[in-house]
Order: sequence, then C-alpha cells, then structure tokens
Amino acid sequence: MKKHLQYYLSSALNSYAVLFFSKNKILGALLFVVSMFEFNAGLTGLIGVMASLVLVTALNFNKEDIKTGLYTFNSLLLGIGFGTFFSFNFTFWLWLSAACLLCVVLSVNLLSLLGKYSLPTISIPFIITFWLVLIAANGYQGMGLVQKSSSLLFELNTGAPTNFAKLCGFFDNLKIPAYALLFFRSVSAVLFQNSVLAGLLISIGVFIHSRIGFSLLLVGFITACLVNHLTGTYPDGVSNYYLGANFMMVSCAIGGFFLIPSWRSYAWAVAVIPFAFLVLNGLSRLLAIYDLPVFSMPFCLITIGLLYFFMLRKNPGKLQLTIFQNYSPETNLYQFLNGQERLKDFQYFHLSLPFMGAWTVSQGYQGEITHKNDWQHALDFVLEDMDGKSYDLPGIKPEDYYCFNKPVLAAGDGIVQEVISHIDDNIIGQVNLEQNWGNTIVIKHAEHLYSKVSHLKKNSIKVSAGDKVKQDDIIGLCGNSGRSPEPHLHFQVQATPYIGSKTLAYPFAYYASGNNTVLKSFAIPTKGETIQKAEINAYLKHAFYFQPGYINVVTDDQANKETWEVFTDVFGFTYFYCRENQAIAYFVNNSNVFYFTRFYGDRKSILFLFYQAAYKINYSTHRVSDCYAVDSENFRPSLWLQDLLAPFIIFTKNTYSNYIKPDNDGLTIHVETKKQVFKHQTRISNAEIYLDSKGIIGMDFIYKNRTLKVKWETGLV
Amino acid sequence: MKQKYERPTIRKMNTGLMNKFGTRTDFDPVETIDGVQVKSLVAEYGSPVFVLSEKQIRRNYQAAVRSFKTRYPKVQFAWSYKTNYLNAVCRVFHQEGSWAEVVSGFEYHKALGNGVAGNQIIFNGPDKKEADLTLAVENHSLIHIDHYDELYLLIDICKRINKTAKVAIRVNFDTGVYPIWDRFGFNYENGQAWAAINKIITAENLELVGLHCHIGTFMLSTAAYSVAATKLCDLAMRCKMELQNPVQYLDLGGGFPSTNTLKGAYLPGVDTVPSVEDFAEAITNTILNFGFAADELPLLILESGRVLIDDAGYLVGSVLANKRLSDGRRATILDFGINILFTSNWYDHKISVAKEAGQYTEETVLFGPLCMNIDVVRESITLPLLERGDQVVVHKVGAYNMTQWMQFINMRPAVVLIDMQGKSHQIRKPETLAYLEMMEEIPEYLK
Repeated sequence: MKKHLQYYLSSALNSYAVLFFSKNKILGALLFVVSMFEFNAGLTGLIGVMASLVLVTALNFNKEDIKTGLYTFNSLLLGIGFGTFFSFNFTFWLWLSAACLLCVVLSVNLLSLLGKYSLPTISIPFIITFWLVLIAANGYQGMGLVQKSSSLLFELNTGAPTNFAKLCGFFDNLKIPAYALLFFRSVSAVLFQNSVLAGLLISIGVFIHSRIGFSLLLVGFITACLVNHLTGTYPDGVSNYYLGANFMMVSCAIGGFFLIPSWRSYAWAVAVIPFAFLVLNGLSRLLAIYDLPVFSMPFCLITIGLLYFFMLRKNPGKLQLTIFQNYSPETNLYQFLNGQERLKDFQYFHLSLPFMGAWTVSQGYQGEITHKNDWQHALDFVLEDMDGKSYDLPGIKPEDYYCFNKPVLAAGDGIVQEVISHIDDNIIGQVNLEQNWGNTIVIKHAEHLYSKVSHLKKNSIKVSAGDKVKQDDIIGLCGNSGRSPEPHLHFQVQATPYIGSKTLAYPFAYYASGNNTVLKSFAIPTKGETIQKAEINAYLKHAFYFQPGYINVVTDDQANKETWEVFTDVFGFTYFYCRENQAIAYFVNNSNVFYFTRFYGDRKSILFLFYQAAYKINYSTHRVSDCYAVDSENFRPSLWLQDLLAPFIIFTKNTYSNYIKPDNDGLTIHVETKKQVFKHQTRISNAEIYLDSKGIIGMDFIYKNRTLKVKWETGLV
Repeated sequence: MKQKYERPTIRKMNTGLMNKFGTRTDFDPVETIDGVQVKSLVAEYGSPVFVLSEKQIRRNYQAAVRSFKTRYPKVQFAWSYKTNYLNAVCRVFHQEGSWAEVVSGFEYHKALGNGVAGNQIIFNGPDKKEADLTLAVENHSLIHIDHYDELYLLIDICKRINKTAKVAIRVNFDTGVYPIWDRFGFNYENGQAWAAINKIITAENLELVGLHCHIGTFMLSTAAYSVAATKLCDLAMRCKMELQNPVQYLDLGGGFPSTNTLKGAYLPGVDTVPSVEDFAEAITNTILNFGFAADELPLLILESGRVLIDDAGYLVGSVLANKRLSDGRRATILDFGINILFTSNWYDHKISVAKEAGQYTEETVLFGPLCMNIDVVRESITLPLLERGDQVVVHKVGAYNMTQWMQFINMRPAVVLIDMQGKSHQIRKPETLAYLEMMEEIPEYLK
C-alpha cells in the first residue's frame, strides 16, 4: 500500500515538476500549491493528472516512464485549462474525461512517434486536445460546455476579496521595479495565471531545482523585453495574455535542458528570442481566424524544430545535445564534463599498441620527415637503449637494430584487408621509393576504421587477406622495407582500406608511458615518448573483474550489512545493486581499468562509500587521479554560485586519487579524496582497500576522526 | 715531459707461419672506468679494488628485458642473488623491476631486507632449512622444490602452520648438452617430475603455481633452451589438460653466458657466445608456438645473473714485482690472485694496463700474491712492460667473484659502485683484522 501511495505521489509530483523539465519534488509541490490558487482550475488539473495516472498504470505502461510524469503532465495542463476556460456543469466533467483520454492517447503515441527521432513532445498533446475542444465547443452549442467570459478569467478580482485575494493583491502591487513584477506574472502564466505571488513561488521552486534553469528564464525574459522595447511589438509588454512564458521556456529548453549548458547554448537562448517573436506572432494571426489561442505552441514548435536541426549536424562540435537526460541542467552539465574525460571507452574502438615491450616514437603526428599532409597522422616506432641509440654497434646491418625482427601485433580485432610481403629489406641508409610502404598489412576493425603497419620484414607476414585476427595476435616482424633507411615500424589509422590511404588521427586505448610511471588512456603518443602495453596485475584484475551474477556481503563495524549483486541492464551496462537499500552503482571494467560511472540512491550506504573509494582502479597499478562529477542531486546551497557559473567556468571539484602498494600476498589500494576550490585543496576522506589472491577482503574508510572498517565476503548467497 | 723509461728486452725470433695480421701490439690503456680515473680509485679505495658500473648494470638489464619483452607479453626477471649479493647491486636490480632468486636462508633474508615483497622472492636450491621454508610459506614466496624429502618436509610444515604454500618443481631433462644437470630437481624423461607434480596436486596445502628448470651454466647453445622450453611447456600443458591445474609461470632459470673467454676456447667469447637476443628468440618462439591460448600464456621468468653483471665489474690491481722464470718466461706478480678473482679458474680474463704504455710487449705469466703455486691469474698474456706500482684493470669480473672470493692470506678489498652520474660510492669496505677476528672466540685457558 505504502509503495502504491509513494508511486502515485511521486508520479503526480513529477507531472507538475516536468512542466519545468524537472523531477524536483519541491518544485513539483510548489507548482501544485500555486495551481490551487485558482481553485477550480487547480482541482481539475489534479483530477486530470490522477485520472491519467490511474489509466496508464492500469493499462500497464512502463512504470519507469510513468514515474517521469511524461505521460500525464499534458493532462495536468488540460485539466487546468478546462477549469480556467469552462464553468463547471454536468457536461464539463463528461468532456473533461473524454479530453483527458484523448490527451493521454496523444501523449503516449506522440512520445513514441517523436521518440524515434529522439525528440520530445513537450505540451503538443495538450494543445491539440484543447484546440479540438475549443473548436468543437464553439461550433456545437449542444455539447454544453460554457466558456467563462474573459473578464471572468481572473475571477480573483471579482466579488468580495478574500484574505487570500488580498494577499495576492498585495504582491501584485509590490513596490519593486515593474519589470520584476512583469517577470513573475509571465512565469505564472505557465499555469494559466497572472499573479505575482504565483510567479514568485514558482520562481523560488525553479531556482531550487536549477540555478542554470532560473538564469535562463531571466535571460529569455530580458531578451524578450529588449526585443519588444526596440520594436514595440506589444505595447502592453511581453506578458500580453499568456505569451511571455513562451519566450522564457524556449530559452530554458534550448539554453539549458536539451543542450548542454555552455556560453554557446546561452547565446542560442538569446538568439532564439526574435525567432520566437516571429513564430508566435505569425501563429497568433493564423489561429485568430479560428479564435484559437496559441498557448505554448510556438515554444513547442521552436524547441522541437531547433533540436532536430541541431541533431542533423554531422559533427556536434562544441554545442552538444543532451544525450542522457538527467532532468537537471546542472547534472546534465556536470555529468557531461565528467563523462567527456572519463567515458572515452564508449567513444573509441579500443586499439592497443602493435608491439610488445617499450618502443619509442621516432616520428609522431605532423612529423618532420614523412608524416605530412594526407599522411600526417602516423607514428614511427623504434627500440632505443638507455643511451638513446636504436642499434648495437656497428649498426651497418638491419640485424644490428634492436627493433629488427621483433614481432608486430594486430592493434585490434578485425579482418586482414590487404597484405604485401615480397619486398626486400633495404641496406641501412638506402630507401625504396618505388614501393614506398614496403611490406604492409591493412586490418579492418570496423566500418571506416582500418589500421596499417608498414616496412615489415620480407616474407615475415603470417596472415593473408581475409584472415580474422584478434587483438595482439602476432602478424609479422618489424623490418626495413620500403621507404625506410633504418628498421622501424610505421603505424597509422585510416578510414579507407587502401595502402596509401589518407591517415586518421586516432588514439590508443591504454598504454603506459614515462618509463612505465603513468597509464595513458585514449591518447596519441608524441615524438620521443617511450611507451609500452600496461602490464596487468593479476591480483587487481581478479579482484575487480566483477561479472553479472557476482554476489557479495559487506558488513561494517557498526553491524550494518549490505548485500550487493552485479547485474547488466538492457543496454549492456553493468551495475552493483544493493538489496537492502536499492542503491545502484554503475561501473565499467575493461581489460585495463575498473571505474564507476554513476551512483543512484542512498548516499549513506556502504555501496556509496565503495563507489567513492573504488572510483577508478588501474589494473596496471599505476596511480590514478580523477575527478568526481560535481554532485548536484542533493540540496546543497553552497554549490549554488558554482551552479550559476558552471556553464562558463568550473572552479570547484572533488578529486580522487589512489596509489597501490604490494603486500606479501596481495596489495593495498590507498585512496584519497579532496575538495578543490580554485587552487586550494582540502582533504575530505581516505580509504584503503585490501585484497589478496581471492579478491577484495576488506576496506577502511577514514573521515576526519572516524574510521569505518568494512569486511567483504563472497559466495555466501 | 720526461719520457718513460722502458727496460730493454730480448725476444726470441718466432719463425712460424706468417699471418697477415701480425702480432697485435696496440694495447689501449683503460685509464678511466665510467669517467672515473683508475688512479684516483686506487688512491681513494686502495688496491686491489672491485669497481662496478651502475650504468652498465642497468644497460645490461634493460637490454635483456628488451630482448624478451619485445617478443613475449609476460616476462619477469629475478635477480640471481648468488651471482652478486651486495645489497647495493641487488637494489639496482630491484629498482629496475627485478624479483629476487635466492638459494639459501641468508640470501632469503637479504632479499627481504632489500625490500622485496614476499611473493616476489623465488626460493631455489637443494638446501632449504626448515625455518627458512616456514618463513617462505608465511611470506607467500615461490618455493621451487628440489627433491622429495623437501616436498615431504614442506607438506609437514604447511600442515603444522595451516598455511598454503605456493610451489613449483625444478625439472631436469636432456637438452642435448652434457653433462646433464640431473642432480637438481626431478627428472622429466623418467617420469619423476610428473610423479612429483601429482603428489603436489594431491597435497592439501600445496598450490602448484609454476615449473622451473635451470639447464646449466655458461650455455653456448640456444637450441638447448628450445628443448628445455618445449619440455616445460609439455608439462605445463599436461598440468592444465590432465590435472585441471594450469600453472601460472615457467621459470627457464639462467645460464646465459657473458662474453668472457672460457679457458681453452679457440676464439674470444665476444665473437662466439650467443647474445641474449638469440636465447630470447629461441625461448619465446618455442612457448608462443606451443599452443597455449593467448590469454593463458604463462608468465616467463628468467633468473639470469652472470650475463647481467659480468661486464659491469672491473678489478683494479697493481703490480707487485716482475721476475723471470727458469725457462725464460716473464712473470709479473700482482696484488690480487685467485683469492679474490675466483673466475680466473674459468676464464682467460681480458686484462688492460691502466696507463699509456710503450709498444713493446712480451708474453707474460700473471701470478697472484698468494704463497700458493696455483695462484695464477693468466698463464700467458701479451702485455706491455710493467713496473712495480703500475695498475692493471681486469675486465668482466662482476659475476660470482664478489660472492665466491675467499679471505686467504689477504683480506678482501673494497667494492666501489660508480653511479649514473659518474660518482663513486664504496659499497663494501675493505676487510680489517677486527672484522676477521670478530667471530673468533678464545677459550679461557688460552687467554
């Protein structure tokens, strides 16, 4: 029962909050309260929401989708609209329920239809439904819907003023600049109201939900006022009827919700206003023929149209669309910035170094010798000794060179596209310009992704065209054929399958650099850099290689116990799920690293501690320094300034670092988290994770003066 | 400058076959080692003195690592302590990433003292004391079992302290090089090794993690390593297929030769000895082609000693006297002999003069300072004319001398390490009488 109540409450509140692209419960509750200012409208709105909720729940739509409020917020608008436009009578309820049904059907269908193009429906279902109702009611008096006269629309002002009306009146006549009053009135128009108090409360709610969102409301409002002032389009100001909200909502949607907030998105939030004027006025004139109000149609059309327009770009560049919607501009932004650095795993095909051991880049991208123009994104590798020499004396035969005859590997899984292996190795100092590339292998890894190794040793190639190769298979030996005065290995990535194709800048997934002191991920080595494959520590890999079905129990010294199980979601992402408190922590583990990506749920759980402590682990035991995404999901006023400025500058972050020390049988991971504001750092906590040959055995979490010891057991359930 | 006086010599006219090279007379003097004046080394640390080049140690190590790691994905070197267990030397190797390979209790403790983690110490050899074994089990070290008695002892120890030991067995086999070193470990051909493996698998407290062999020393054939690797791989594969106990590593031991010239060899070692590259090629190709799945390739462990340090060691000494023997041969007596240059039993060491000398040379016998007839450093070497007090430099003495040297008639000298910046550090003081008598006790009645 409690679960049901929670579900309905949460879904209903979300239906309110989502009007401002939010899932914030405070905002939802405030909107509900404000809707009740117009009691009739508020009530019908609530009825609309609840009826629709019951309907979609009974019809077994996806509960997670229902909970977002996306199926039902149009019914909320419809209910409020009905209550605002029509007087209560018998037919009112009949047509309200009919319209509600239509609205829900439209919501579900349009969501699915537009969803295929990754586009939102916004309030289109409501607008269509309500237009139909208005047209129908105007044409068929027999339907019995009685429209309130427009003078009655703001009925608060009629009859004997109640205390509440006096309060509203007080706020309406506040001694603050007229533009501020106008702003709040415009905000209240989203709920078909025209009240400063309503606008004020909503504004507070929006601010608590999102500082970026609120600032964009302001940006939209100010720009609209400026445009109006300059052109004189609306002599009575932009809040003319319900129209002002259109501008603000467009700014909000484009500037911060559907795009990742940045100065570019803010620029669009400004630029879109005159555009909105045009659409709004045009539509108004057109709809006036049928006596229809435009409602938020301009906002919907502009938002959807612009989104689609942005989506069709070939390369998103700096103006990024929100791929994963968190219903909070801040979270969207922080996760995006964090993910840009951390989630390259999903961005690139994993290429590994095409050799074993530590090789040195003798010519990098845009090299001075041959890596130019169309072939600028290529790498030449040689083996060097401590003294920087690539050969043993006397260095007159290819065999004197360290790299000659060394195995060359496939950089990734793929199919051998082309092989040349008959070209003679050169005498040292001579080049073969006729057969420039020498003995060469081209491997196709994916569509438009090929890798090529060249200058291999004559007849050393072990594969032929059409063969399947796995990453790190030995495919040939390093040689000195083609345009190669001394033995070296040429490696390049290209988008087309030919020998001699234009090169493509493409990173190696993981490799160790700086004399094996740092692990680089998704980077391109530079000239002079000596790099090698990361050597995997068996203990670490074994301990962190969590597979779906893995179950473990953790108990702390306060006798708290949690059971975690590893699952895979429908998209193939893996996560820990805590049975006791339903917390979820998403993680990635590949051949080189383990790292957490997102945490949902109770931040007092042990899983959250583990999420923070094992935020990133290099299997190669290299030190890790990383940043947590700014945590914007809790109510944290101390972050509000950062939130406001976040699209332009990030000055506060929580950093994560660890180093690993070997024990006699196993090792210890020492973790430190710090808060950094500008350059100033303060320690937040430390943690230690202990593991032996069986896996993780325990963890210590150390706060300012408190230590929590956690024991880790597996195989108990 | 006043020209150096050279005493006159009378040389027999050799009328043998002519050769187009003639007799080599240009002897490049070795005046500096890693940029440090030999003269100043003697002045500071006395004569004789062992000098080690850190740069050459690291160069050797990195070259060996390069040879193997560029051919095989998982390679680990373990520094053979018995080759040279001066702590400074060991630490250079550990800094480079080497594990420790020890063959006795005190070496084991030395490795611990040098900061090596327990699970990175390989415990080899036929003589492991019970206490040392117990400690090794507790430290999760890799214990390479040499014989059944050790195996039974280990089972007892593990049962008693209720711990699991990580073990491997040492295997010996016929690799085509004779004599076969079958006195160490369990024989492959007669099934002893397989029987030992089965015993370990059935023992409750033993975990078979690897297989070990060490086919000889100063091996001049790479083919022997191919044979050894094949036989180890065969055992490893059978462990996986028949016993469902895949081993984590194959330890091919050491035995790679340095470029010293063995006594009796016709050609100099530099020209005949296979390089580490050649051994690496033979070993890695064998394992890679044996048929392991790519992700099940065992870790390849190497316990090289000699090849990594021999040419990084020099012995600087001085001429004590010259004399002429009864048969007319010249003899030079040096202040070092087989007491500290044990390897002169095995090699014809290359010996250079430490300063510019004249072009006249003479066949010479080099004697050490001991009152013992066998104390001969070189039976015959062509050297310029030396005088009392002149310094000579013996090359490639880094391996075994600083562990097998003896304190007989003379004390053992200082050992100096020249670091990467060319600065010299004394890493072992010259012995003193106090040191010598430290362990002595005099019974009351003799006092």
